[in-house]
Amino acid sequence: MSHDTQPAGSSDEEQGPFTNWVDSAIKNPKKVYRAMFATVAIFFLFTTLFPLYWLTMIAFSDGSRVSEGVGLLPTGFDPSSFIEIFQQVPFHLYMFNSLVFATLTTVFVLLVASLAGYAFGRLQFRGKRPMMLGVLVISFFPPAAFFIPLFQLFNQQISFLGITPPELYSTPGGVVIPLSAVFLPLAIFILTTFYGQIPDGLEDAARIEGTTRLGALFRVIIPLSAPGVATAGILTFIAVYNEFFFSFLMTGAAAQDWAPIVDGIISYRSQFQVRYDLMAAASIVAVLPVATLVVIAQEKIVSGLTSGALKE
Amino acid sequence: MATIELEHIRKEYGNDIAIEDLNLDIQDGEFVTLVGPSGCGKSTTIETIAGLTKPTSGTVSIGDRDVTKLPPKDRGIAMVFQNIALFPHKDVYDNISFGLQLRKFEKEEIDKRVEKAAETVQLNGMLDRMPSEMSGGQRQRVAIARAIVRQPDAFLMDEPLANLDAELRVHMRTQLQRIHDELDTTIVYVTHDQAQAMTMSDRIAVINDGDLQQFAPPLECYNEPANLFVAGFIGSPAMNFIEGEITDDGFEADAGYIDVEFDPSAVDATVGQQVVLGVRPEHVLPTETATGDVTDSIDTYTDVTEPMGKEIFVYLVTDQSATVDMEDPDAAGQLLMSVGPAADIGEDQPLSVALDKSNLHLFDADSEVAIAHGLAEPAGVDATEDTPASADD
Repeated sequence: MSHDTQPAGSSDEEQGPFTNWVDSAIKNPKKVYRAMFATVAIFFLFTTLFPLYWLTMIAFSDGSRVSEGVGLLPTGFDPSSFIEIFQQVPFHLYMFNSLVFATLTTVFVLLVASLAGYAFGRLQFRGKRPMMLGVLVISFFPPAAFFIPLFQLFNQQISFLGITPPELYSTPGGVVIPLSAVFLPLAIFILTTFYGQIPDGLEDAARIEGTTRLGALFRVIIPLSAPGVATAGILTFIAVYNEFFFSFLMTGAAAQDWAPIVDGIISYRSQFQVRYDLMAAASIVAVLPVATLVVIAQEKIVSGLTSGALKE
Repeated sequence: MATIELEHIRKEYGNDIAIEDLNLDIQDGEFVTLVGPSGCGKSTTIETIAGLTKPTSGTVSIGDRDVTKLPPKDRGIAMVFQNIALFPHKDVYDNISFGLQLRKFEKEEIDKRVEKAAETVQLNGMLDRMPSEMSGGQRQRVAIARAIVRQPDAFLMDEPLANLDAELRVHMRTQLQRIHDELDTTIVYVTHDQAQAMTMSDRIAVINDGDLQQFAPPLECYNEPANLFVAGFIGSPAMNFIEGEITDDGFEADAGYIDVEFDPSAVDATVGQQVVLGVRPEHVLPTETATGDVTDSIDTYTDVTEPMGKEIFVYLVTDQSATVDMEDPDAAGQLLMSVGPAADIGEDQPLSVALDKSNLHLFDADSEVAIAHGLAEPAGVDATEDTPASADD
């Protein structure tokens, strides 16, 4: 096969196909990189996509036959579980609850992290580094460490200096407040980096033209940092939407008590049977809003990166 | 239109003093340039006027209004920045109208004003472009349009032409002057380029180390510099400085090669005083062609000649074996001469030169303050004493 490069062509025929491949790979390393890329890519795609595929197969299986086991194809075929999930429990309400938590937390986190990011990224003040470090340290704590005191505070209304706080258990507040605290440090770090990169001249120009510092933040710095804001927002939104610990424990089990998606999915397990097909269908439906958001926002992120064209 | 007044402005950054004690009184409609080397405090000064920087002490007044504590937006000023600072996410129209929109102007009024401003800077038909689609000069014109559209009391310009190439810079310089003539608004302009300062301003404020050195019309700064710094900073190439001493009959260089005869008492100099003699390169004349009141001839040798087209710079040394020390242009025994293009001067040749006495400057060596400008004879009747040379400090 390679007579022109290997004059001793006859030896080729004595070698096996693997040896031949190795020979040509040594001469042409790109071939190896391609092969390695394919291997790794297939591995990652398989590990990420196969569970989703299998989940879909379970969801489409006939509910009464799931216990027989589900292979690469659904056992029986019954797409009605996608409707049944809404009939058995008000699953849309559970989803609504989770979306409310995610939206409120994202808005709150972006607002506070923007102000903090502006201060950390653009101002010089005493104690900046220790404060930044403090924020970082807070993010080291496992959220569970805060749980018991917060649960007592939200549930049992401990009075402080004679003031009894409102009962936050089973309200969005009970979830949004602790989760905001948990996800703020990451958002602050992302936004600090982005806001710090906007040239001073642009902020000065905005302030001369008639904005306050805060106005310059919202009219110039945030729009120019759109990719960073989108990244921080999406990370927070997804994390809160998928969050289990606080949203499960700080709310009741019923949809009216602000129970999140997890509660909805668990409720397909009754005393006598576990409806795996319904759980699978509900999981898939629950993923849809986030998946849509990511697809839309990704376009925004990409366009933000290309049209920014920040020049000094 | 408004006056701008700075009173006892002091600005410290930590332990560094950016501005010592600055007083400036800028007239209504005046084009004032703050000029000085990098880091002299001129940018801090203009930021203080703009309100982007708060002075440590002192007051800023614009149009008889104390604005020291007002935020930039309430000072009635507009500013053009060195880095242009257009909002990259807004098109030209939105950039120009940003301030008007913030101030809730009527849509028609905004349209009218933007149209007029764009016309002034010759940007018609480009209102829907994004800044990234424009050239450097066009962007700078948008920045200027953004400044003039609000019809502010005063314009502040912080090195607006520094990022443009040389040709465009000259062009924009004329445009800026035209805009100033048209609008007749007070302009405070910052530059380190003394050519811009000389050509455009009504008055120049020369600043060094946070201190005002001289505040006068450009030609006065050139012809009658208040001190050594101004003398060396204004004018290109820089003035020659010769260290020496006042004697009974005039000036004698420490290095011995230059004597200037004049009556010391006529110029407020005392015998024995250590002084610095300043002479601009164009006032060093070849003896053959020298006319008027000149000093005795000085024997020199030409070292390097630099033909610039309309003039030739000739580096002279008094010692034939020496070469010009470019690092220290004021080293003893060397002189820079500027002659017309017709002069036939070769390198490494003996040349006898003389200094034009009516254009000599005398500075005190310690205080660096000017003592006299022009040492022409007879010193007694010359008007040198009347020059406002003894500048404030």
